[in-house]
Amino acid sequence: MDQLTQPTQLSEAEILQVLKKFITEVIGEEFVEDLDITAESSFTKDLEMDSIEIVSFSEKVKTYFGKDIDFTGWLSNMDLDEIIRLNLGDITKYIHTCL
Amino acid sequence: MPVATQSHIHLHVQEMNREAAETVLLVHGMFTNLSIYYFNIAPLLAQRYHVVLYDLKGHGMSARAHSGYDLTTMSDELLALMDRLQLSSVHLAGYSYGGLIALKTATRCPERIKKLAIIESPDPYEQETMSVVDVYSKELLVHFINSQGLHTPVPMGRRQLERRHRLYEFLLKESTIRQDMQHERHFFSKGGIQNIPHETLLLYGSHSNCAGAGLELQGKIKQARLVFVNGDHNIPVQEPFEIGHMLRDFFDTQD
Repeated sequence: MDQLTQPTQLSEAEILQVLKKFITEVIGEEFVEDLDITAESSFTKDLEMDSIEIVSFSEKVKTYFGKDIDFTGWLSNMDLDEIIRLNLGDITKYIHTCL
Repeated sequence: MPVATQSHIHLHVQEMNREAAETVLLVHGMFTNLSIYYFNIAPLLAQRYHVVLYDLKGHGMSARAHSGYDLTTMSDELLALMDRLQLSSVHLAGYSYGGLIALKTATRCPERIKKLAIIESPDPYEQETMSVVDVYSKELLVHFINSQGLHTPVPMGRRQLERRHRLYEFLLKESTIRQDMQHERHFFSKGGIQNIPHETLLLYGSHSNCAGAGLELQGKIKQARLVFVNGDHNIPVQEPFEIGHMLRDFFDTQD
């Protein structure tokens, strides 16, 4: 995606917008239209993402935010139960604290 | 998202810690994808190793293929991936059918493998094994409805049900996967497994239907060590940290 603003300058609200765009790219606009994506949205329960889609999302996060964050390392300390319960607000906060 | 192209099949590949001196290559099983390793097992191994994981064709984010799910073709594709990544030899680990692909590769090109780890691979001869595939496929929907054996069941929505349904429809009805797996039924008896020279770790679930296959492989492979992990066929999901640590310790140990 185009980066008009350096990721390090982003607020939590702006990070959430970036994450929403990634989710749209991963699951497709036709499905996103039916979803209300908020900071409270969880991967599995609310967004209906499966594990390979979460992989795709993770790769987009890593590519966009680069070496400033160790997103996979952060996720690797959680078991899958915890990962599927994660919501976008948790991820936004994590990324913001790393930038 | 790195994607390798070989034999006109696009394979979805992920790599971690490319700077490391040695490589661990991870192969998933049928009807699953690389995510079985991606979140816990691969990052743990990547603390010391270059880790390569990929989606088998027809699975995950790799391209669909109507045929060529036999062990020789799948092994060819694994070797072609190693060639493409310029990996002369690797530590190789495979889960379920991915473990059979790893065993096949070990019999064909032993020089390209350092150590071998087999997780929950069934004996293709056992009638029950094919029903494992069948049960596996029926179970898969239940499995996914229960969020892949997770402790917290999550109801599956319409989009995921449709995705699963399409995957099953394609693999089981439009591809040769069933026939190809049937053709491998003599692999344990006639596949040359007894000639595998590698130090081999066999990880099986203590409550798994495939545990007998682990015992059989231990009897056939000279340098094999069988370890039971608490769980069933889904131990990579049930005990990912334990599996990751056991693999890392195994690959770390010098001969």
